[in-house]
Amino acid sequence: MIEATTLTKRYGAKTAVDGVSFAVRPGLVTGFLGPNGAGKSTTMRMIVGLDRPTSGRVTVNGMPYAEHRSPLHEVGALLEAKAVHTGRSARNHLRALAATHGIPRRRVDEVIDLTGLHSVAGRRVGGFSLGMGQRLGIAAALLGDPATLILDEPVNGLDPEGVLWVRGFVRQFAAEGRTVLLSSHLMSEMALTADHIIVIGKGRVIADAPVGDIVGSTKTYVRVRSPRIDEIARRLGQPDVEVTSTAADTIEVRGITAEVIGDAALQLGVALHELTEITGSLEDAYMDLTRDEVEYRTTVGASAASAASAGPSAPSAASASTEGALR
Amino acid sequence: MTATVTGPAVARLSHQPLPEARLGFGGVLRSEWIKLTTVRSTVWAYAIIFLLQLGMGAVIVLSQPEEYLEASAPADVAVFSASLGVMLNQLVISVLGVLVITGEYGTGQIRSSLTAVPRRLPVLWGKAIVFGVTSFVVGIVSVLASFGLNAVLLQSRGVSVTLFDAEVWPYLVGAAGYLALVGLIAFFLGALIRHTAGGVAAAMGLILVVPSVLGFISAEWVTVLGQWLPMSVGQNLFFPATVFQPWQAILVMLGWIAVVAVPAAILLKRRDA
Repeated sequence: MIEATTLTKRYGAKTAVDGVSFAVRPGLVTGFLGPNGAGKSTTMRMIVGLDRPTSGRVTVNGMPYAEHRSPLHEVGALLEAKAVHTGRSARNHLRALAATHGIPRRRVDEVIDLTGLHSVAGRRVGGFSLGMGQRLGIAAALLGDPATLILDEPVNGLDPEGVLWVRGFVRQFAAEGRTVLLSSHLMSEMALTADHIIVIGKGRVIADAPVGDIVGSTKTYVRVRSPRIDEIARRLGQPDVEVTSTAADTIEVRGITAEVIGDAALQLGVALHELTEITGSLEDAYMDLTRDEVEYRTTVGASAASAASAGPSAPSAASASTEGALR
Repeated sequence: MTATVTGPAVARLSHQPLPEARLGFGGVLRSEWIKLTTVRSTVWAYAIIFLLQLGMGAVIVLSQPEEYLEASAPADVAVFSASLGVMLNQLVISVLGVLVITGEYGTGQIRSSLTAVPRRLPVLWGKAIVFGVTSFVVGIVSVLASFGLNAVLLQSRGVSVTLFDAEVWPYLVGAAGYLALVGLIAFFLGALIRHTAGGVAAAMGLILVVPSVLGFISAEWVTVLGQWLPMSVGQNLFFPATVFQPWQAILVMLGWIAVVAVPAAILLKRRDA
């Protein structure tokens, strides 16, 4: 159980985490989702005491992390790949961490086997790939057989087999009644792994709900394509039905089912070329939620659009510009 | 026919229950010992210290003119030549002292270390103790080995010295002690500055540059100030005492360590890692 209460972190004039409150419950995989720079990592670092909150507090199982008698047994954290001296071997790195808590040598060998590092455990970490570094970070997090696992972007740099492994692994971890907090900016990953999602943007909690609720919050709609689309649109026009035209022969309908639309078309005697129910994905929900909260927005094709409007002779080179959205 | 579905091996979290694992200072010391001895820079630095101590001593003994050997007490010659390597090795130990801590900041290791020991200060004190004691042991071994080699070389030139001469021991222990103490000053400078280049520059500045700059200023109080700098103080430990008695010299060195260690500890506790 992790509980944050009005947790705030400022770096000079910049507020990285802005009065965030949430609870991460045991037995679930909780996803921590947000765009780059939203404050995910800073929040995670404050949980294990690497960053000192400007105000507010965060506890793990009722106590600040640093006050636990056996911190590694409370929380296993992977906050960045390769937080390891590059000149030391993976095994010696784990041995040194284990020694602080008197964790036996066999547990070090166990987490090495568990994370598939056996063949490289004797090699110096400086030569590790990002994926191997992630595995080593996960091995270090598991050393103390912790009740809570905090993983910042754990699948970054992992091969597909490794991604599957992490996914199955955190699910099992939660099934054992332990607490898992997992951050990612990949919604697809979250949809597959998390039970509960906390969405954070510009240092604030935007949503804190079960995955199903967050996905359900985006509207599902029906896409209808027909050569006589206007007739269908007119026929469907009711107060609680929203009809949006997206192309000359296509509309998107919200508020009624595909069956009703199909029946209506039959009664009109109009041919349908497409009738598709489109369900909102976590991606859509996430994009809706964070639309205004993105720290670094990439505008693709903005200059191309303005160039096109300037006249047909203007070159239509698409360029991307990144602007830091300042508050 | 049966189809075998091979998915990713879902790993068991722990095969056997762990015995009561608890964070303690003894564990932190063991951890720091493992860290110190599993990087190559440590091995290299201590090997260089050993060889320089031996080499410098041998060069001094072999290069002394006959008249000097006849005019000096044999023990003085042997002690001086065995200790002289410290003048070079104080630089080697200072670089190692800085690296021991800034190596953790430079690589991100510090965040692993402080997550395991979230109260933080045990890491600093544990590292200092392990590094200080190890440096003293390597120092005394190097100095004794140098003394032994010098004794053999002096023997061939007709001069006889022995470790059974109680007079030589304070100087030899003093040389190793100075090495450990100056290394600790550098270590805490590294902890304060958190960058290898900056830490090494600060340590070199304090040990080498400041004394030579002060040497150019002819004012009474500057001369006195110069006598309080680590290198001048240290010479009272391994050469015949001039300004400070050995015990006073040790206190001044400990004072230097405290002056750097206290802010380093306060900042370690306060700063984000």
